[in-house]
Amino acid sequence: MLFRSLQHRIVIVFVGLLVLVMALMLALVTRSNSRIVAAEIERELAAGTQVFSLLMEQNRRQLETAATVLSADFAFREAIATRDRPTIRSVIRNHGLRIGAQVMMVIHPDGTLIADTQNRNDPNHTVPFQDLLAAAESAGKSTGYKQMKDGRLYQIVVVPILAPKRIAWAAMGFLVDDHWARDLSGMTGLAVSVIRRDATGVAVLSSSLEEPKRAALPTAIGALATDRSGVLDIGDEHYQTVYVPLGKEISVALQRSVEQAKAPFQTLQTALWTIVLAGVVVFFFGSVMLARRIVRPVNELAGAARRIEAGDYAEPVPRLTSDEIGQLATSFDLMRERVANREQKILKLAYEDSLTGLPNRTRFIEEFSSLPETSRSAVMVMNLDRFAPINSALGHPVGDRLLTEIGSRLRSFQSATTLVGRFWGDEFVFLLREADREAASRFAESLIVALRKPFTLDGHRLDVDATLGVALYPDDGRDAVTLHRRAELAMYAAKRQRSGIAFAAEAGAEPLPEQLSLIWEMREARSRGEFLLYYQPKLDLASGQITEVEALIRWQHPQRGLVSPAAFIPFAEKTGFIRELTPWVIETVVAQLAQWRKAGIELVPAVNLSALDLMNPKLIVHIRRLIGQYGLAAKALCVEITESALMEDPELALAHLNELAALGLKLAIDDYGVGRASLAYLQTLPVHELKIDGSFIRAVAETPKNAAIVRSTIVLCHALGLSVVGEGAETADDLAWLSTNGCDVAQGYSIAKPMPAEKLPDWLARFGKRAWKQA
Amino acid sequence: MRAQAVWLTALLVVGGSADAGDFEASATTLSGQPLADAAVVLEPVSGNMPGTSPTVTIAQRDRELIPYVTVVQKGTAIEFPNQDPFKHHLYSFSPAKTFEIKLYAGKPARPVVFDKPGEVALGCNIHDWMEAYVLVVDSAYFAKTDINGWARIADVAPGSYRLRWWHPRQKRELRARAVEIGAEPLRLTQALDVAPHIVKPKPPADKDSY
Repeated sequence: MLFRSLQHRIVIVFVGLLVLVMALMLALVTRSNSRIVAAEIERELAAGTQVFSLLMEQNRRQLETAATVLSADFAFREAIATRDRPTIRSVIRNHGLRIGAQVMMVIHPDGTLIADTQNRNDPNHTVPFQDLLAAAESAGKSTGYKQMKDGRLYQIVVVPILAPKRIAWAAMGFLVDDHWARDLSGMTGLAVSVIRRDATGVAVLSSSLEEPKRAALPTAIGALATDRSGVLDIGDEHYQTVYVPLGKEISVALQRSVEQAKAPFQTLQTALWTIVLAGVVVFFFGSVMLARRIVRPVNELAGAARRIEAGDYAEPVPRLTSDEIGQLATSFDLMRERVANREQKILKLAYEDSLTGLPNRTRFIEEFSSLPETSRSAVMVMNLDRFAPINSALGHPVGDRLLTEIGSRLRSFQSATTLVGRFWGDEFVFLLREADREAASRFAESLIVALRKPFTLDGHRLDVDATLGVALYPDDGRDAVTLHRRAELAMYAAKRQRSGIAFAAEAGAEPLPEQLSLIWEMREARSRGEFLLYYQPKLDLASGQITEVEALIRWQHPQRGLVSPAAFIPFAEKTGFIRELTPWVIETVVAQLAQWRKAGIELVPAVNLSALDLMNPKLIVHIRRLIGQYGLAAKALCVEITESALMEDPELALAHLNELAALGLKLAIDDYGVGRASLAYLQTLPVHELKIDGSFIRAVAETPKNAAIVRSTIVLCHALGLSVVGEGAETADDLAWLSTNGCDVAQGYSIAKPMPAEKLPDWLARFGKRAWKQA
Repeated sequence: MRAQAVWLTALLVVGGSADAGDFEASATTLSGQPLADAAVVLEPVSGNMPGTSPTVTIAQRDRELIPYVTVVQKGTAIEFPNQDPFKHHLYSFSPAKTFEIKLYAGKPARPVVFDKPGEVALGCNIHDWMEAYVLVVDSAYFAKTDINGWARIADVAPGSYRLRWWHPRQKRELRARAVEIGAEPLRLTQALDVAPHIVKPKPPADKDSY
C-alpha cells in the first residue's frame, strides 16, 4: 500500500539506487582498506621482527662484550682467585651492579656453582644451564634464556674468567621482564611477549601488553598447538602474531594490533560513512522534494478530477508548471470547461422545455421535492382555451410560436417563490411557494390579466384565454404528481364549467383508494393484455347487410371475470387513463380491420373517443400514422364521439373533428338526445352520422313520444344529410319500427350482442343465411 | 723454538752423570699429532730430590711471555725481564705461586722464587693474550717436548720413578705411572688429551707512522 504512491516509488527508486551505489563504493573501499591493512600489518610485522632480531643480536653482543670486559677486570679476577666465597659474592654483587645484571654467578670449570649473588643457592651444585657452559666452552662465551627457580626469565651470558687460563665461568643474568618487553616494543612498534609453551600449556613470562590483554594472552596463544603465525583474538582486539624462538620451550610473540593498524583507515571509513549517510539523507530529502514537485501537480489534477467527478465544474484546474503535467492540466481544464458546457446543455435538455425554455416536468418535480415539508404551496395548471383550432388553422409552427410568446410573457412571473413551467402542449404549470388559496387566486388573476393583452403573430391578432386549476399542498395532496393531477382535474372541471378557474377541493375529491388501486390495476391489465375488444354488429336496414361494427372494450379480470365497461370507463375518463387506453383500442381495431380484409370480410369498425381523447392532439397524430401504416381507405374507420365530449371544449373539438374528417374518417355523434347539443350546432360539425341514444329506441313502437322524437330526428337528419343509427334495438319490434321509419342503421341485442372478434366471422355467416326480414 | 731446544739440551748435558740412564719420551695428541710443550717428570718413588736449580728467565718480548712453558724444580727463582719498550703487569693467581709484579720496565729487582710444586699460570694484566705456564716439580728429572713432541731426560739415576705428564691445556691430569730407569735408555710415547691451542687475539704492534 505504501509503495502504491508515486511519490514513495520515486523516492524509493532514487534513494535505493544511491544506497546501492554507495554500498558498492563502501564495499570496495572497505575491501581495499582491509587488503592494505593486511599488507601493512605484514610489512610492519616483518620489519618489526627484523628490528627485533637485530636488537636481540645487538643486545646479546653488548651484554657479552660487557661481560667479557667485566670478567677481564683484574680486581674481579683477583677476587675470584682468592676462592673466598664471601669475597667472591661481594665482588659479583658489585660487578653485577656495574653491568646491570640482576643475577651473577661464578661457576667452576667443572660446572658446579662457586658463588652467586642470590645467596640462596647451595654452592657446589651443578648449575642448570650446562648447555650454555658447553657452548661457551667451544665458542668462548655463550648467551641463552633461562627461566630460573624464581620463575623469572633471564638472559644469561656466560663468559670465562681467564687468569689467563680459564679459572672459572662468570654467568650474568639479565632479567627479561615487562620493562624489557616494553623497551623492545617501543623500538619495534610491535607488542612483545615472551611465552613459555610446554606440556602444561602456555605461560606469559613477560609482555609489553597491559592487563587484561596480558591475562588473555595464554589462552589465545594456547588455542594453537604450535607457534604458528596467525591472527589471535585478545580481548576485543585482534593481533597478527609471529613467533621468534628464544630457547627451549621459550619464544617471543611479536604482535601487531589489527585494530590499531586499521585505525587510520577506520577514520577514513568513518568519514566516508558520514559522507555517505549525509549524502543519502540529503538525497532522500532531495528526492522527496523532487517527488513532491512531480506528484503535487498530479495530486492537484487528481483533486480536480475528483471535483469534476463530484459534479463541481466551477473551480478551474490549477495553472501548473509549463512542463508535460502543466500541458496535461491545461488540456484537463479545457476538458472541464467542455464537459461543464455539455452538462449544462444536458441539464437544460433535462430540466428545460426546449420550446419555451421554461422548466419542464422533471424540474418541477425536483423543485417540489426540495420544498420544506412544513411549507404551504400551490400547484397551478394553466391550459389555453381554443389552442387546438389555432394550431389547426394556422399550423403547428404558428402554434409553437404562440406558445413561445406566451412562455416569454409568463417568464416574468418567474421569481424566488414562483416556478413557471411548461409540461406539454398548451399546459403551463406554476409552483407557488408559501402560497395559500388567496395568494393563488391573486396569482391566477394576474395571470389572466397578463394573457388578456392579445398576441400578434404574422399580422394575426390572437386572443388567448386560459383555464386554471389549482391544488394546494398539503390539503390536496402531498406529492408533486398527485397535486399536478388534481390541479389538472380541477382545470378540466373549470373548463367544463367554463368558470376560468377551479380549485381541486371543489372540483371533486381525490379518487377513493379503491379507485386509485383501480388505476394501478388498469395499468397492470393493460400491460398484461387483460383488455379485450368485443364487436357489436350494426345492421344496414336498407340492404339488410351488416356493414359496420362498434368496438367495445371489455376487461377480462383474472379474479372478477369480465368487468363491464361501465365499471371502469368513466373512471378511466376521469383520471385520464383513457388517454392511454384509446390509442391501444384504435391500434387493435385497425389491426383487426386489416385481418378481416384479408379474410374477405368488409366491415367498418367504430371506435369511441372520450372528451379527453378528443382534446388530445397526439391521438390525431397517432391515427394519421396508423392510416398511413395500414393504408386505410376513406370511411374505412368510424369514430364515435358523445355530445358531452364535444361540449367540453367545443372549439377544440371542432378543430380536431376537422382534422379527423380530413384524415377520411367517418365521424358519428354518439348517444344523441341525452346531451344538450342542438341539431343546429351538430350540423356545423363535419359529422356523417348520428346515433340516437338507446333510451329513445327501446320500446319505441309502444312509446309515441319517443317515436315522434325519433321519427322527426330521422327526418331532420336526412334533411341535413346525416345518416341515422338507432341504438339499443332490443326487440324485433324495435327493429321493425326503425326499418319502417327510415332509420338507416340499427344496433342492439335484437341483432347481436357484442362478441369477440374471432366469433364474428361465424356469426356473420349464420346471419347472412337467415333472412332478418322474417321479423 | 729451535734456540729453546738447544738451550734445554745444553742444560741436560750439564746435569748428566756417567752411570745414569737416558729417558726419552714422545707426546702426541689423541689424534696422533706431535704435541709440543708437554712436560714430562720423573719423580723418585722414595727420597727427596736433592740439589738446587739455577735461576731461570721468562722474558717478555714482543708482547709475549717466552717461553710458553717452563718446568722448574721446587725452589727455583725465575727472572721476568721486560725487553719490550713498554711496561708489563705480570701476575699469577695460581695457588702454587700467587704473585704480582705491577707495571714495570726492565728487569725487576728480585726474581720470584717458586717454592711450591704445582702449576702456575702467568699473565699480563694489560696484555690479555700474553700467557705462560710454569710447572714447579719436586724432582730434578724433567723435560718438555719439542715441536716434534720429543723430550729427553739424560743421566737419570737408575731406580723407580713415578712418571708424570703435564700440559697446560690438558683436559685432565694423567695418572702417574711407575717406571724403572736402568742402564738401558727408556723410550716411550704418551698420548695426551689436550684442548686445541686457541690463540688469543693480539693487536698489531704500534707503528711509528700513524
